[in-house]
Amino acid sequence: LRRCQVSVDTRHIEESFQEIKRAIQAKDIFQNVTILSTSEALQSIKPSDVCCMTKNVLAFYVDRVFKDHQEPNPRVLRKISSIANSFLYMQKALQRCQEQKRCHCRQEATNATKIIHDNYDQLEVRSAAVKSLGELDVFLAWIDKNNQETSTA
Amino acid sequence: MKNVLQWNPPEGLQGVEVTYTVQYFIYGQKKWLNKSKCRNIHRTYCDLSAETADYEHQYYARVKAISETNCSKWAETGRFYPFLETQIGPPEVALTTDEKSISIDLTAPEKWKINPEDSSVSMQQIYSNLKYNVSVYNTKSNRMWSQCVTNHTLVLSWLEPNTLYCVHVQSFVPGPPRLAQPSEKQCVSTLEDQTSVFKVK
Repeated sequence: LRRCQVSVDTRHIEESFQEIKRAIQAKDIFQNVTILSTSEALQSIKPSDVCCMTKNVLAFYVDRVFKDHQEPNPRVLRKISSIANSFLYMQKALQRCQEQKRCHCRQEATNATKIIHDNYDQLEVRSAAVKSLGELDVFLAWIDKNNQETSTA
Repeated sequence: MKNVLQWNPPEGLQGVEVTYTVQYFIYGQKKWLNKSKCRNIHRTYCDLSAETADYEHQYYARVKAISETNCSKWAETGRFYPFLETQIGPPEVALTTDEKSISIDLTAPEKWKINPEDSSVSMQQIYSNLKYNVSVYNTKSNRMWSQCVTNHTLVLSWLEPNTLYCVHVQSFVPGPPRLAQPSEKQCVSTLEDQTSVFKVK
Protein backbone atom coordinates (compact mmCIF):
# COMPACT_ATOMS: atom_id res chain seq x y z
CA LEU A 1 0.00 0.00 0.00
CA ARG A 2 1.81 3.16 -1.17
CA ARG A 3 2.04 5.87 1.48
CA CYS A 4 1.04 9.36 0.49
CA GLN A 5 3.73 11.76 -0.56
CA VAL A 6 3.37 15.47 -1.11
CA SER A 7 4.29 15.44 -4.77
CA VAL A 8 4.68 19.19 -5.12
CA ASP A 9 7.80 21.10 -6.04
CA THR A 10 8.38 23.06 -2.84
CA ARG A 11 11.16 25.09 -4.49
CA HIS A 12 8.70 27.66 -5.81
CA ILE A 13 7.23 28.04 -2.31
CA GLU A 14 10.70 28.29 -0.77
CA GLU A 15 11.71 30.98 -3.24
CA SER A 16 8.56 32.96 -2.42
CA PHE A 17 9.27 32.61 1.30
CA GLN A 18 12.95 33.52 0.97
CA GLU A 19 11.93 36.86 -0.52
CA ILE A 20 9.77 37.81 2.46
CA LYS A 21 11.55 35.88 5.25
CA ARG A 22 13.60 38.81 6.64
CA ALA A 23 10.61 41.18 6.56
CA ILE A 24 8.29 38.71 8.27
CA GLN A 25 10.78 37.46 10.87
CA ALA A 26 11.76 41.04 11.74
CA LYS A 27 8.15 41.63 12.86
CA ASP A 28 8.33 38.68 15.24
CA ILE A 29 9.45 40.24 18.51
CA PHE A 30 8.89 37.18 20.72
CA GLN A 31 12.17 35.30 20.21
CA ASN A 32 11.54 33.16 23.30
CA VAL A 33 8.47 31.45 21.84
CA THR A 34 8.23 29.11 18.86
CA ILE A 35 5.24 27.57 17.13
CA LEU A 36 6.65 24.70 15.03
CA SER A 37 10.21 24.52 16.20
CA THR A 38 9.69 22.78 19.50
CA SER A 39 11.23 19.34 19.33
CA GLU A 40 7.99 17.68 20.38
CA ALA A 41 6.20 19.04 17.33
CA LEU A 42 7.57 18.35 13.85
CA GLN A 43 10.94 16.85 14.71
CA SER A 44 9.44 13.95 16.64
CA ILE A 45 7.22 12.74 13.77
CA LYS A 46 7.87 9.25 12.42
CA PRO A 47 7.65 8.35 8.70
CA SER A 48 4.31 6.64 9.19
CA ASP A 49 2.82 9.86 10.55
CA VAL A 50 4.26 12.20 7.90
CA CYS A 51 1.14 12.28 5.73
CA CYS A 52 -1.23 13.06 8.59
CA MET A 53 1.12 15.65 10.04
CA THR A 54 1.54 17.33 6.66
CA LYS A 55 -2.23 17.46 6.28
CA ASN A 56 -2.69 18.89 9.79
CA VAL A 57 -0.02 21.58 9.45
CA LEU A 58 -1.30 22.60 6.01
CA ALA A 59 -4.77 23.00 7.61
CA PHE A 60 -3.21 24.99 10.47
CA TYR A 61 -1.75 27.47 7.98
CA VAL A 62 -4.76 27.61 5.65
CA ASP A 63 -7.47 27.77 8.31
CA ARG A 64 -5.72 29.89 10.93
CA VAL A 65 -2.44 31.56 10.01
CA PHE A 66 -3.26 32.95 6.56
CA LYS A 67 -6.66 34.12 7.85
CA ASP A 68 -5.32 35.73 11.01
CA HIS A 69 -2.43 37.55 9.36
CA GLN A 70 -2.96 41.11 8.17
CA GLU A 71 -0.26 42.24 5.79
CA PRO A 72 0.10 45.93 4.86
CA ASN A 73 2.89 45.48 2.33
CA PRO A 74 1.43 44.55 -1.11
CA ARG A 75 4.63 42.82 -2.27
CA VAL A 76 4.74 40.64 0.83
CA LEU A 77 1.01 40.02 0.56
CA ARG A 78 1.40 38.73 -3.00
CA LYS A 79 4.05 36.24 -1.86
CA ILE A 80 1.90 35.06 1.05
CA SER A 81 -1.04 34.57 -1.31
CA SER A 82 1.15 32.56 -3.66
CA ILE A 83 2.26 30.34 -0.77
CA ALA A 84 -1.34 29.98 0.42
CA ASN A 85 -2.45 28.84 -3.05
CA SER A 86 0.31 26.27 -3.14
CA PHE A 87 -0.83 24.97 0.23
CA LEU A 88 -4.41 24.67 -1.06
CA TYR A 89 -3.07 22.62 -3.98
CA MET A 90 -1.12 20.38 -1.60
CA GLN A 91 -4.24 19.93 0.52
CA LYS A 92 -6.18 18.73 -2.53
CA ALA A 93 -3.40 16.31 -3.39
CA LEU A 94 -3.49 14.85 0.13
CA GLN A 95 -7.29 14.80 0.08
CA ARG A 96 -7.25 12.12 -2.60
CA CYS A 97 -4.85 10.06 -0.51
CA GLN A 98 -7.07 10.43 2.50
CA GLU A 99 -10.10 9.22 0.59
CA GLN A 100 -8.10 6.11 -0.30
CA LYS A 101 -7.44 5.58 3.40
CA ARG A 102 -3.67 6.07 2.98
CA CYS A 103 -3.26 9.06 5.26
CA HIS A 104 -4.00 7.56 8.63
CA CYS A 105 -3.73 9.77 11.75
CA ARG A 106 -2.26 8.16 14.85
CA GLN A 107 -2.24 9.66 18.36
CA GLU A 108 1.34 10.88 17.99
CA ALA A 109 0.46 13.11 15.05
CA THR A 110 -2.65 14.34 16.83
CA ASN A 111 -0.61 15.21 19.93
CA ALA A 112 2.05 17.01 17.89
CA THR A 113 -0.65 19.00 16.08
CA LYS A 114 -2.16 20.00 19.41
CA ILE A 115 1.22 21.30 20.60
CA ILE A 116 1.37 23.55 17.53
CA HIS A 117 -2.11 24.92 18.14
CA ASP A 118 -1.38 25.37 21.87
CA ASN A 119 1.81 27.28 21.02
CA TYR A 120 -0.26 29.46 18.68
CA ASP A 121 -2.88 30.14 21.33
CA GLN A 122 -0.21 31.29 23.79
CA LEU A 123 0.22 34.50 21.80
CA GLU A 124 -2.07 37.31 20.75
CA VAL A 125 -3.49 36.27 17.40
CA ARG A 126 -1.63 38.77 15.17
CA SER A 127 1.70 37.96 16.83
CA ALA A 128 1.00 34.25 16.56
CA ALA A 129 0.23 34.57 12.85
CA VAL A 130 3.41 36.57 12.14
CA LYS A 131 5.49 34.06 14.11
CA SER A 132 3.95 31.11 12.26
CA LEU A 133 4.61 32.75 8.90
CA GLY A 134 8.20 33.35 9.99
CA GLU A 135 8.56 29.64 10.67
CA LEU A 136 7.40 28.52 7.24
CA ASP A 137 11.01 27.57 6.43
CA VAL A 138 10.89 25.02 9.27
CA PHE A 139 7.77 23.39 7.78
CA LEU A 140 9.10 23.48 4.20
CA ALA A 141 12.44 21.97 5.26
CA TRP A 142 10.51 19.25 7.13
CA ILE A 143 8.41 18.51 4.00
CA ASP A 144 11.59 18.33 1.87
CA LYS A 145 13.35 16.07 4.31
CA ASN A 146 10.43 13.77 5.01
CA ASN A 147 9.18 13.42 1.49
CA GLN A 148 12.64 12.12 0.52
CA GLU A 149 12.62 9.55 3.31
CA THR A 150 8.93 8.52 3.10
CA SER A 151 9.35 4.94 2.03
CA THR A 152 7.17 3.10 -0.41
CA ALA A 153 5.37 0.47 1.62
CA MET B 1 28.47 24.01 9.74
CA LYS B 2 31.20 26.34 10.88
CA ASN B 3 29.30 29.47 11.83
CA VAL B 4 31.26 32.69 12.35
CA LEU B 5 29.68 36.03 13.25
CA GLN B 6 31.36 38.95 11.52
CA TRP B 7 30.80 42.73 11.78
CA ASN B 8 32.23 46.05 10.68
CA PRO B 9 33.83 48.44 13.16
CA PRO B 10 31.77 51.55 13.98
CA GLU B 11 32.46 54.55 11.80
CA GLY B 12 34.20 57.69 13.03
CA LEU B 13 36.22 56.02 15.80
CA GLN B 14 39.61 55.83 14.07
CA GLY B 15 42.37 55.98 16.67
CA VAL B 16 40.00 55.16 19.53
CA GLU B 17 40.43 51.77 21.22
CA VAL B 18 37.24 49.81 20.69
CA THR B 19 36.39 46.37 22.04
CA TYR B 20 33.41 44.17 21.31
CA THR B 21 31.19 41.79 23.25
CA VAL B 22 29.03 39.09 21.66
CA GLN B 23 25.92 37.25 22.83
CA TYR B 24 23.75 34.65 21.16
CA PHE B 25 20.15 33.47 21.53
CA ILE B 26 18.59 30.10 20.80
CA TYR B 27 15.19 30.76 19.21
CA GLY B 28 12.44 29.61 21.57
CA GLN B 29 14.66 29.63 24.65
CA LYS B 30 14.49 32.21 27.42
CA LYS B 31 17.51 34.51 27.41
CA TRP B 32 20.58 35.81 25.68
CA LEU B 33 23.73 33.86 26.45
CA ASN B 34 27.28 35.16 26.70
CA LYS B 35 30.06 33.86 24.52
CA SER B 36 32.92 34.04 27.04
CA LYS B 37 35.69 33.96 24.43
CA CYS B 38 34.13 36.95 22.70
CA ARG B 39 33.94 39.37 25.61
CA ASN B 40 35.90 42.63 25.25
CA ILE B 41 37.70 41.43 22.12
CA HIS B 42 39.45 43.63 19.55
CA ARG B 43 38.81 41.46 16.49
CA THR B 44 35.64 41.87 14.44
CA TYR B 45 34.56 38.24 14.24
CA CYS B 46 33.47 35.55 16.68
CA ASP B 47 33.25 31.81 16.03
CA LEU B 48 29.87 30.59 17.24
CA SER B 49 30.11 27.14 15.67
CA ALA B 50 30.03 25.28 18.99
CA GLU B 51 27.07 27.32 20.21
CA THR B 52 25.12 26.73 16.99
CA ALA B 53 26.09 23.08 16.53
CA ASP B 54 22.48 21.85 16.82
CA TYR B 55 21.59 22.63 13.23
CA GLU B 56 17.86 22.04 13.72
CA HIS B 57 17.58 24.99 16.07
CA GLN B 58 17.53 28.60 14.96
CA TYR B 59 19.65 31.37 16.44
CA TYR B 60 20.20 35.09 16.79
CA ALA B 61 23.49 36.79 17.61
CA ARG B 62 24.28 40.32 18.66
CA VAL B 63 27.39 42.45 19.26
CA LYS B 64 28.04 45.77 20.92
CA ALA B 65 31.05 48.09 20.75
CA ILE B 66 32.65 49.51 23.87
CA SER B 67 35.14 52.39 24.00
CA GLU B 68 36.51 54.08 27.13
CA THR B 69 33.52 56.31 27.66
CA ASN B 70 30.90 54.85 25.42
CA CYS B 71 28.96 51.69 24.85
CA SER B 72 26.90 51.16 21.68
CA LYS B 73 23.46 49.61 21.41
CA TRP B 74 23.34 45.95 20.44
CA ALA B 75 23.52 45.21 16.73
CA GLU B 76 21.48 42.06 16.14
CA THR B 77 21.40 39.52 13.31
CA GLY B 78 18.29 38.14 11.67
CA ARG B 79 17.16 34.65 12.58
CA PHE B 80 19.84 32.14 11.47
CA TYR B 81 18.84 28.57 10.56
CA PRO B 82 22.00 26.44 10.06
CA PHE B 83 20.06 23.52 8.57
CA LEU B 84 18.91 25.70 5.67
CA GLU B 85 21.68 28.27 5.48
CA THR B 86 24.94 26.41 5.95
CA GLN B 87 27.28 26.38 2.96
CA ILE B 88 27.80 22.81 1.74
CA GLY B 89 31.42 21.91 1.04
CA PRO B 90 32.49 19.92 -2.05
CA PRO B 91 32.65 16.11 -2.05
CA GLU B 92 35.92 14.22 -2.29
CA VAL B 93 36.43 13.24 -5.91
CA ALA B 94 38.43 10.22 -7.17
CA LEU B 95 38.85 9.63 -10.91
CA THR B 96 39.92 6.40 -12.67
CA THR B 97 40.21 6.17 -16.43
CA ASP B 98 39.85 3.64 -19.18
CA GLU B 99 40.15 4.01 -22.95
CA LYS B 100 36.78 5.58 -23.50
CA SER B 101 35.44 6.09 -20.01
CA ILE B 102 36.15 7.82 -16.73
CA SER B 103 34.81 6.55 -13.42
CA ILE B 104 34.06 9.26 -10.85
CA ASP B 105 33.80 8.23 -7.18
CA LEU B 106 32.34 10.80 -4.79
CA THR B 107 32.52 10.93 -1.00
CA ALA B 108 30.11 13.29 0.72
CA PRO B 109 31.62 16.21 2.65
CA GLU B 110 31.78 15.95 6.41
CA LYS B 111 30.13 18.14 9.01
CA TRP B 112 32.48 20.60 10.70
CA LYS B 113 33.78 19.10 13.95
CA ILE B 114 34.02 21.03 17.20
CA ASN B 115 36.91 18.82 18.28
CA PRO B 116 39.10 17.17 15.61
CA GLU B 117 38.94 13.92 17.61
CA ASP B 118 35.13 13.83 17.39
CA SER B 119 33.74 11.13 15.14
CA SER B 120 32.94 12.27 11.63
CA VAL B 121 29.38 12.95 10.54
CA SER B 122 28.73 12.85 6.82
CA MET B 123 26.55 15.60 5.38
CA GLN B 124 24.70 12.74 3.66
CA GLN B 125 23.41 11.71 7.08
CA ILE B 126 22.08 15.23 7.66
CA TYR B 127 20.77 15.85 4.16
CA SER B 128 19.38 12.57 2.84
CA ASN B 129 18.49 14.38 -0.40
CA LEU B 130 22.10 15.57 -0.97
CA LYS B 131 22.92 15.65 -4.68
CA TYR B 132 26.00 16.42 -6.81
CA ASN B 133 26.39 18.57 -9.87
CA VAL B 134 29.24 17.01 -11.91
CA SER B 135 30.80 19.28 -14.57
CA VAL B 136 33.01 17.71 -17.24
CA TYR B 137 35.20 19.57 -19.73
CA ASN B 138 36.79 18.02 -22.85
CA THR B 139 40.01 20.01 -23.29
CA LYS B 140 40.37 18.90 -26.93
CA SER B 141 36.91 19.82 -28.18
CA ASN B 142 36.33 22.56 -25.55
CA ARG B 143 33.00 20.97 -24.92
CA MET B 144 31.54 21.16 -21.35
CA TRP B 145 28.53 19.37 -19.88
CA SER B 146 27.01 18.81 -16.47
CA GLN B 147 25.10 16.02 -14.84
CA CYS B 148 23.13 15.92 -11.59
CA VAL B 149 23.62 12.67 -9.66
CA THR B 150 22.55 11.33 -6.30
CA ASN B 151 24.63 8.18 -6.05
CA HIS B 152 28.33 8.16 -5.33
CA THR B 153 29.68 6.59 -8.50
CA LEU B 154 29.29 7.94 -12.00
CA VAL B 155 30.81 6.43 -15.13
CA LEU B 156 31.30 8.72 -18.11
CA SER B 157 31.20 6.49 -21.19
CA TRP B 158 31.72 6.96 -24.93
CA LEU B 159 34.57 9.40 -24.37
CA GLU B 160 37.36 10.11 -26.84
CA PRO B 161 40.51 8.05 -26.21
CA ASN B 162 43.78 9.77 -25.41
CA THR B 163 42.01 12.99 -24.41
CA LEU B 164 42.39 15.16 -21.33
CA TYR B 165 39.14 15.64 -19.43
CA CYS B 166 38.72 18.00 -16.45
CA VAL B 167 36.08 17.46 -13.76
CA HIS B 168 34.78 19.48 -10.85
CA VAL B 169 31.86 18.63 -8.60
CA GLN B 170 29.52 20.71 -6.43
CA SER B 171 27.30 19.37 -3.66
CA PHE B 172 23.81 20.78 -3.36
CA VAL B 173 20.60 20.19 -1.41
CA PRO B 174 17.19 20.85 -2.97
CA GLY B 175 15.53 23.66 -1.05
CA PRO B 176 16.20 27.33 -0.53
CA PRO B 177 19.17 28.64 -2.52
CA ARG B 178 22.45 28.44 -0.59
CA LEU B 179 26.11 28.94 -1.31
CA ALA B 180 28.09 25.85 -2.33
CA GLN B 181 31.80 25.57 -2.98
CA PRO B 182 32.85 23.45 -5.98
CA SER B 183 35.64 20.91 -5.67
CA GLU B 184 39.11 21.57 -7.02
CA LYS B 185 39.29 20.92 -10.76
CA GLN B 186 40.87 17.52 -11.49
CA CYS B 187 42.08 16.49 -14.95
CA VAL B 188 42.80 12.99 -16.29
CA SER B 189 43.50 11.63 -19.73
CA THR B 190 41.66 8.69 -21.23
CA LEU B 191 43.96 5.89 -22.36
CA GLU B 192 45.16 5.34 -25.87
CA ASP B 193 42.79 3.42 -28.10
CA GLN B 194 44.27 -0.14 -28.02
CA THR B 195 42.72 -1.08 -31.39
CA SER B 196 44.63 1.67 -33.25
CA VAL B 197 47.88 0.41 -31.66
CA PHE B 198 47.31 -3.06 -33.21
CA LYS B 199 46.71 -1.52 -36.68
CA VAL B 200 50.09 0.15 -36.56
CA LYS B 201 51.92 -3.18 -36.21
